[in-house]
Amino acid sequence: MVTRRMNCSRGVALALLLAALLICPGQTSAQMFQGHNLVQASLIADTTAIVPGQPFTAGLLLKMAPSWHSYWRYPGDAGIPTEIKWHLPQGWKAGPMQWPIPLKLNEPGDIQIYGYHDEVLLMMQLTPPARIAEKSVHLAGDADWLVCAKICIPGDGKVQLDLPVANSATAANQELFSKFRAQLPKPLPSGAESAIKWTREAKSFRLTIGDKSLAQKASVDFFPLPKAPTVIGHPKRELSNDGSIVFTLPFETAPPDMQSLDGLIVFDHQAWSLGSAAIQSTGTEEAKPASALSGGLLKYLLFGFIGGFILNLMPCVLPVISLKIFGFIQHAGDSRRKIFGNGVAFAAGIFVWFIALALLMIALKAAGHQITWAFQFTNPIFVVVMSAVVLVFALNLFGVFEITLSSRATTGLLGWSAQEGYAGSFFQGVFATVLATPCTAPFLGSALGFAFAASAGIILLMFFAIAAGMSAPYLLLTAQPAWLRFVPRPGPWMVHVKQFMGFLLIATLLFLLWVLGAERGPDAAIWTSAFLLALSIACWMKGSFLLPGASLARRSLVLGLMLLLVLGSGFYFIGEKFAATKIAAVSLTKSDWVPFGPIRLQSELAQGRSVFIDFTAAWCITCKFNEASVLETAAVKEAFKHYGIVKMKADWTNADPVITKTLKQFGRVGVPLYVLYPASAPDKPIVLPELLTQALVLDHLQSIAPKLALTP
Amino acid sequence: MKAKLLFLSLTILSAGLLCAAESPQVGSAAPGFTLPDAHGRIESLSKFKGKYVVLEWFNPGCPFVQKHYRSDNMQTMQKEFTGKGVVWLTIDSSAPGEQGNLSPAEAQKQMADWKMDPTAFLLDPTGKVGREYGATNTPHMFVINPEGKLIYEGAIDSKPSTNQSDIQTATNYVKTALNESMAGKPVATTTTKAYGCSVKYAD
Repeated sequence: MVTRRMNCSRGVALALLLAALLICPGQTSAQMFQGHNLVQASLIADTTAIVPGQPFTAGLLLKMAPSWHSYWRYPGDAGIPTEIKWHLPQGWKAGPMQWPIPLKLNEPGDIQIYGYHDEVLLMMQLTPPARIAEKSVHLAGDADWLVCAKICIPGDGKVQLDLPVANSATAANQELFSKFRAQLPKPLPSGAESAIKWTREAKSFRLTIGDKSLAQKASVDFFPLPKAPTVIGHPKRELSNDGSIVFTLPFETAPPDMQSLDGLIVFDHQAWSLGSAAIQSTGTEEAKPASALSGGLLKYLLFGFIGGFILNLMPCVLPVISLKIFGFIQHAGDSRRKIFGNGVAFAAGIFVWFIALALLMIALKAAGHQITWAFQFTNPIFVVVMSAVVLVFALNLFGVFEITLSSRATTGLLGWSAQEGYAGSFFQGVFATVLATPCTAPFLGSALGFAFAASAGIILLMFFAIAAGMSAPYLLLTAQPAWLRFVPRPGPWMVHVKQFMGFLLIATLLFLLWVLGAERGPDAAIWTSAFLLALSIACWMKGSFLLPGASLARRSLVLGLMLLLVLGSGFYFIGEKFAATKIAAVSLTKSDWVPFGPIRLQSELAQGRSVFIDFTAAWCITCKFNEASVLETAAVKEAFKHYGIVKMKADWTNADPVITKTLKQFGRVGVPLYVLYPASAPDKPIVLPELLTQALVLDHLQSIAPKLALTP
Repeated sequence: MKAKLLFLSLTILSAGLLCAAESPQVGSAAPGFTLPDAHGRIESLSKFKGKYVVLEWFNPGCPFVQKHYRSDNMQTMQKEFTGKGVVWLTIDSSAPGEQGNLSPAEAQKQMADWKMDPTAFLLDPTGKVGREYGATNTPHMFVINPEGKLIYEGAIDSKPSTNQSDIQTATNYVKTALNESMAGKPVATTTTKAYGCSVKYAD
């Protein structure tokens, strides 16, 4: 057993190796570097005994020190793959090495490499001869590897294993083998073959993957496996407009008749093999998604109902809800029938919006789109329209203009704000619900996540449950007007309350403008405000000049001017100026947060660090509330620092598809989501509740901290 | 929805533009550069027009580089070809604080210790020249013909290992390319995958 070392004399190395030998007799080969154990190599088998003639799997297990990596079959721009030269008894056969899916790592200078952190099991099938005379068999091989962190050190060692010969055997080392078997690439699914297309261009290969199921994955990558004499550059994902996934692979040299490359299509934690790479993948264990549908439905529908109920109390809905309560006060003197009618109309508004939303989502899902809660808020035009609606509503409450229900044209969009009438109640219901969507209430997250992964019927049912939950208090309150007895009598004070509610709406407007600013930059917020100003003037004109008693000529003139103002400014400020604003780059103003990326996450975890991810969006009030009241407080910041936990921010403001995908992995379709990956168990991330408290976060951080302090 | 797709496309497009840097390919003109050598002299590629030039990326701490120096393979090649009028430039692109970053004095000592014999030992601590050539490995070899065109890029030989005994049985691509081209023949193997340690560029 020889281990090469760069900075020590051979004698010292030998002594260290002998020491290592004493600790792990005959099994492990350790590579030492400056007194540290860099790599431990050993040979293991998935069986307790050798049954003559019966193939089994052996594996070369490399355990690497933190932050050091060994290489994949194709190491990338630098490095060399791990090798084993077998010394097997007569009649034995060894299969090719089965390589788990590697990590893609980037080094300074645009150097891209493929390798493994922590530990890797390189499996090979061994076939013993049909007859074995000996009672036990000695299996041995010479392993060669290269490990690099900042620097590279080659290592080699003899690995060996003695196994008894028997007529039957039981499985051994199951945990390790099943862990790494799950990481082996799988053959291309039979249906997907026709979706793969290669074309060769002057200086690159072009891989087009037309597979619908893959197009929905957040991160799809291609890990190439070029064979000499082919030399290639870095695969690059290209823009495609037909929903297919396109990679170009620039080549420096490739045989003239070559039309395609071998490689892996990598997504989530899986991979499909292309070309002869498939031969080496014998991964058969298919993870079966647990069917949660049967027993959980009722529970999740109940969650949906409770979540819908709690939505009423969320900060985004409060202004509208206050107005509704206000409406009840006003109607307190009316007949029971009328009050209940209003309650039903309000509930109907809630139901109609939710059902419409559900149908839209079902349609989008059928068309192969990613569907998410509050997705409409990721569309800036929707936010602009919402701002306009909120402002007009506020101006109405201030008394700038009154809605006259008798007018034939106002039954549409403006009719909702009328304080009287079933139509008014109905549109208030719709309005409250629209505003509710950027908030994810407790319980709602898991309920929606459950529904979105299920069939159209379940989605519809879930939204029905949420609508029922949200409208329940109004239906109850209006069905039992006796409960309204406790509210004060109507009077002039109501005008003041009404005007005050207008300010609440202006606050909501500020929030919407801030969302626009976050999505499209400050210019977008300014141009929208300019349009809103013109809209306010139009509202003022209506209130001051479009009086019922005015002559037809005057009415037409004012109406014409109003239309000109609204359409003109809409066309100029929104159609021209606003449309010209670019999507804002995600900027992390708080420098101690790093932007979320699946590869970054893997890499941090691979280096033994715990990671906390804040899935957030500018338009998500619950998220902002949690950040301000918990995550950005001195105590919590200090705790993150103290425990050395990496803080990642996944900004979903513009519906980043990578983040959408990650949310889905946690069964979520919206933000907020808080996930803590403990370094001690990176495969068991902890999901925190949607509403955070300082104590809760601190408890969790402490719970994952290592029991023994690692400080020197 | 449409608007959303547009934003998505814009993001992807701008990301694509950011990583559009290309390294020179065999057959194209070798990019010019000016670097100080271990003795403080300033060397320019343009000065050597009309001669064959070999570029060798170097890091004394890298076991793959050590393989070719401890076996005397690299020095023998340097002597053989500089004797034939070839300009041999050894370039160190290790960033300050990284393995293989050498001060001029350390570089001189390294040359003496290993009896290195290039035309010049150039120091590129900013990594500018290394990145421009797309040098990813140590050793990473480039051969430039008298017209200033790149005629070979890649590994030193055909056996990617740190094992000195592999040198004897490997095909030396640099030697072959130089000999073929000097004999007026086209170079058969113009590009190979370089092997070695990654060049230790600055972050």
